[in-house]
Amino acid sequence: MVTHIFLQHVLGLIPMWSTILSYFPKGTVFFGAFMTLVIPLLLMRVIRLLRNFIRGSGRSLSGKGQAGFKEPQGGQGEGHAAVQHFYGNFDDDLNALKSAIGGNSDVHFREFVVAGANLRAVLVYVEGMQTEDQINKHVMKTLMKDSADEFKEALKATKPYVKNGLGAFIKKRILPVSVIFDVHNATELKQAILRGYTALMVEGMTEAILVDTPNNKTRTISEPISETLLRGPRLGFTEVLTENTAMLRQHGRNESLEIKKFEVGTRAKKSLALVYMRDIVNADLLAEVEKRLQTVDMDFIIESGYIEQLIEDDELSPFQQTQNTERPDRVLSAIMEGRIAILLDGTPFALIVPVTFSMLLQSPEDYYERWLPGTLLRCLRFFAAFLALTAPALYISFISFHPGLIPTELVISIINARQGVPFPSLIEVLILEISIEILREAGIRLPQPIGPAMGIVGGLIIGDAAVNAGIVSPFLVIVVSVTAISSFSIPMYSAGITLRILRFVGMIFASVLGILGTVLFLLLVCSHLVKLKSFGVPYLTPVTPFRFNGWKDLFLRAPMRLMYQRPDLMKPRDSTRKRRS
Amino acid sequence: MFIRKDDKISTSQAAIYLNNSILGAGILAFPRFGVQSVGTPDVWMSLLLSGMIAMMSVLIMVKLSQQFPGRTVFQYAKKIAGSPIGAVIGFIMVMYFMLIAGYELRVFAEVTLFYLLEGTPVWAIVIPFIWVATYLVHGGINSIARLYQIIIPASILILILSFGLSVRLFDINHLRPVLSEGVMPVLSGLKSMMLLFAGCEMTMVLVAHMDDPKQAAKAMVYGTSLPLILYLITIIVVIGGMSADSVMRSTWPTLDLLRSFETAGLLLERFEFPFIVIWMMQLFCNFCSFYYGASLGITQLFGAKLRPVILGITPLLYIIALMPKRINDLFGMGTFIGFTGVGLFLVLPILLSAVYIIRRKGLKQNVQ
Amino acid sequence: MFNRGIYAALLAAAVLMTQTGCWSSNEIEDLSLYAGLAIDKGMVPSVEKGMKEKGGAYDKKNLVTITTQVIPTKTGGSKGQQGGQQGQSGQTASNQYYNTSETGDSVIQIIRQFAIRRDRPFIGHHLKVIIVSHDILKSIGMEKLMDFVLRDNDIRPSCLVLLSEGKAKDTLDISQVPGDIPAFHLKGMIRNRYRTNKVLPKVTLTNLDGLINSKRSFVLQNVITEKGQIQFSGAGIIKGSDGKWIGNLNQEDVEAISWIKGNSRSGTLKYYANSSEPVIYEIKSVKSVITAKADGEDVSFHVRIESDGRMAENWKSGADPSKIAFQEEAKLRFEEDLRRKLDHLMNRLQKEYKAEVVGFGDKLKIQHPKLWKKMKHRWDEIFADVPVTFEIKLNISDFGSSLQ
Repeated sequence: MVTHIFLQHVLGLIPMWSTILSYFPKGTVFFGAFMTLVIPLLLMRVIRLLRNFIRGSGRSLSGKGQAGFKEPQGGQGEGHAAVQHFYGNFDDDLNALKSAIGGNSDVHFREFVVAGANLRAVLVYVEGMQTEDQINKHVMKTLMKDSADEFKEALKATKPYVKNGLGAFIKKRILPVSVIFDVHNATELKQAILRGYTALMVEGMTEAILVDTPNNKTRTISEPISETLLRGPRLGFTEVLTENTAMLRQHGRNESLEIKKFEVGTRAKKSLALVYMRDIVNADLLAEVEKRLQTVDMDFIIESGYIEQLIEDDELSPFQQTQNTERPDRVLSAIMEGRIAILLDGTPFALIVPVTFSMLLQSPEDYYERWLPGTLLRCLRFFAAFLALTAPALYISFISFHPGLIPTELVISIINARQGVPFPSLIEVLILEISIEILREAGIRLPQPIGPAMGIVGGLIIGDAAVNAGIVSPFLVIVVSVTAISSFSIPMYSAGITLRILRFVGMIFASVLGILGTVLFLLLVCSHLVKLKSFGVPYLTPVTPFRFNGWKDLFLRAPMRLMYQRPDLMKPRDSTRKRRS
Repeated sequence: MFIRKDDKISTSQAAIYLNNSILGAGILAFPRFGVQSVGTPDVWMSLLLSGMIAMMSVLIMVKLSQQFPGRTVFQYAKKIAGSPIGAVIGFIMVMYFMLIAGYELRVFAEVTLFYLLEGTPVWAIVIPFIWVATYLVHGGINSIARLYQIIIPASILILILSFGLSVRLFDINHLRPVLSEGVMPVLSGLKSMMLLFAGCEMTMVLVAHMDDPKQAAKAMVYGTSLPLILYLITIIVVIGGMSADSVMRSTWPTLDLLRSFETAGLLLERFEFPFIVIWMMQLFCNFCSFYYGASLGITQLFGAKLRPVILGITPLLYIIALMPKRINDLFGMGTFIGFTGVGLFLVLPILLSAVYIIRRKGLKQNVQ
Repeated sequence: MFNRGIYAALLAAAVLMTQTGCWSSNEIEDLSLYAGLAIDKGMVPSVEKGMKEKGGAYDKKNLVTITTQVIPTKTGGSKGQQGGQQGQSGQTASNQYYNTSETGDSVIQIIRQFAIRRDRPFIGHHLKVIIVSHDILKSIGMEKLMDFVLRDNDIRPSCLVLLSEGKAKDTLDISQVPGDIPAFHLKGMIRNRYRTNKVLPKVTLTNLDGLINSKRSFVLQNVITEKGQIQFSGAGIIKGSDGKWIGNLNQEDVEAISWIKGNSRSGTLKYYANSSEPVIYEIKSVKSVITAKADGEDVSFHVRIESDGRMAENWKSGADPSKIAFQEEAKLRFEEDLRRKLDHLMNRLQKEYKAEVVGFGDKLKIQHPKLWKKMKHRWDEIFADVPVTFEIKLNISDFGSSLQ
């Protein structure tokens, strides 16, 4: 009986077993599962390899970087070469100097005698960088004529000079020069002279004195070409660091505006300045920036772009993590918010860190106009950025995958227009997009007279001819031109490049999976943005983490009276910007 | 600290996270289930009632989780009910999360394949989806919550817009008569409407990750009421626009409502397109939610590291997504998940709380 | 060693995946849209007969003939030859679309059959209008005919459904306005509701679905054709129990239905003064309230119609529309006209066809749900004996811009 029931139950289970087994996944499903696991693993490994490879060179995270980054004392820096000291003897030092740099035709040695003390002296300078007037009137004249009496008196008063006496005496009493540096060893002296300083060596002085600073040729201050505004100051940085810092001080008059100078580059040095508001900026942020700058270890930093790429968080991201600008008003407003600016000698482009996504689409003009135009223009810009990113992808998905989603009359016109076009939509779009990218690259390098003509040629003739030849459809030309124009509306050039790159990726996604591909692409970009950080600040603030404070400045631009606090994301020390009236 | 190293989410992020865990594939088909189980157009009442019940159980879950700050249900279930039972509960929850994730994925694939991409094999849709989800979940709960914050305003906007446009089809007579057959149909509708709120067990995991656990009650209530409101609007507009008879014959009534009119003159004449896009994103969020929950569960149950687990689960999810062979199987799976969910979020917290209170009282008595 | 093996395997897999190509990508110009669908009783065209003799046939019963209206036609050659205009103006009306027919017993099979006759597959995303002929609805119910259409993923539920008096395919072949596509023309005509109440409110597939499911009788707009011209005329009644067509209502009946339902946006009433001079009343607004009274199992309906309108046209000599006396007299005569129409409608519905298509059942459902539940299965028969009373109130509130 029992076995009977038992067998019944077991036999009753068999059909259930077979149904369960029929649901057991087939081999192809396992293969798919395997693929799902393996490809991300592989990708992760590749990315990790890439990152390690990139980080391994050009950057040294150990303390070795100390060598490249140091506060200057008196405008020089240490070199890798061994330090040579003065002999102490005038002739020997002079001869050593002559043998070291005398071979250069533009180095001149002007020997003379100091009146009153009958000491030999020599002025060493590089042709072209000295201020003749200064040297003649204030140095040579003083030493050779005017201070004869002082020397005589000093001679009478003191014994043959104890060490360090003559130099100090000359500096304090004799030379009416405001900017004077000391040099204590031959290596520094050589570097200084080649840098453009004029050196003075007097017999009996234990050190050499630099009496004249390099007279750099600079250009006039004009509005930067890459960032023009309709309304706003027409000032732009120049290539000279001192002028730039001077400009900042002039327009941002505040005692808490602090400028700290550093030297970067191991072989050829450049001055770098950190600019921030001492009582606003967050101390941790400052420390982080300094720490990263310490790791910069290259022999020659030509442009701030080098620094940007060496200190950013994620090299593999298409989005830039520092902002670069030529406008001092942008720098000043950023500093007032608690950000830090990095200026480099030799380039007008200053870096601003940290940066968030919204800053890439903002323009100072938003603030100079009233809030209503500011808001609407900003919304327009966001829309244009979105269009620039997804328009071709949407075109491809609609044309190739979902004709049912387009209005019927439009479909009919598109079908009529696309008759005879030999390519599938992806190829068509790629042809036109790549042509436009080539045109854009060419346009940057065109000489002035040809520029506008080429624009006409490129735009009208190529587009029109392509349509008439039947290679592309006219509808596509509209889409591509709207995209191109939208991408020009983005205020920051570097952000525009990012969108261009991403657009191509979006197109490929769309061509495989249609609108689903576009959606996945957008999700992928959003996921990436969400994980990206710029110096510790999440890239997408203030959209998320949701800080209502910041929304006043994101899509809208709230009226000035409401913007009385600094953005939370900077965690500033002093968050009141304006007293509420 | 300027650079945060911890993986916590703020109050509003927690609310949005919960919202995205609840709002998922159900929104497309639930009007039909509702009308089928209720029989009268009074489905919205059942919905309201189930929403209330869900909110109460969420509050219980919040209170329970607040007793164990920083610990998720996987960890404190062991403490309350003893290690073996707690492990079993945790295991069931992990399985449940994975099932839901696979189910949502499959529904997504089915609808997409049917309406948008005919001819594409299922795996071509499922695999890239899983990959993008892996990329996101890899960043931790903070990244996930942030993505949700981006998507939610657009979602709500387009949902409201879509329904606003369908108002022209709305006929209040389709919703009448109210309570024509009394309260019984409303109660019998509860069993299908409660399934909609499966997903609020995430509360027990979320509270542990909150910046400020004291705000948890507020956040979770918001997180439950938002889907409730959206579901309510959906059901009212769908039944009002399509009439209950039509709803009963439509596989995906919400979509059909949007496909049954055209806004002439706008570029987006066919408004189901933005709706489907938003629905896709919403489903993606839903999937990531459960994906993360399952990975976290496995990590905490077996003491593994989070990142490798996240990767390791992907083949399982794929297999689950491809298991149902017919769409009837899929709906059956959905119902099964719903019932398990109801068990987990109604029965479990009550049981756990009861045991916890008893134990605490017992401890107190021991101490005294 | 192991690493290399893995990389090789993955490379192979990646290459494999690229071989599959893009699965659902079809360029838009490779597709044909069909904008109109006509369902007729099965009649085999000669082309098919010829092909069948050559062996080109499959297993089917010739129950239905489907005619599809395909747009647009291929313009052959590049657009450069057309100069500035693209396609439209350089072609005659007959080139804008073409109709093609097939016979069979399953709608989807027929449509797919087109794929072996044309070079481009059909997609139904832009189907605007479905026309069903009375003929076929006499034998096959609406539910069966519409089954594929309702199930399909391509066809949008916003598509309209119309009935046709003669052959449905003739309605797709009109030359009313050269260059006009008949399907769009028909769809546009529905919009004219705001000018006349002889056109029923549109019935989309969604509505149709609901109506079929509820097993109630309903009406669909009728289309008649004559020598290439079409007209919306009256409505066809579909019986709820089996979905078959049982008869027609004429234009005045359709007007009466609009009056009862209270959803007319415009329309006219007319009476003949002196037996040949028409005086016209134009509706500005109509409101109607239907009350269902239930006395045990006895049901009765009372319809209260209120309307506001104007004296639109007056042919009666010697009458001044701006005088109140004339307006009052005219009002009574208009009411008579309306009552006549309503009675005619009721007569046909209750005595002749025994079908309730106006919506009285809905009102009963809302106002007396329990009673409705008992009655709904035999509603059509019960309705035949239900008394319906009308109360009409017209108000002539203005007479236009001319006094006499």
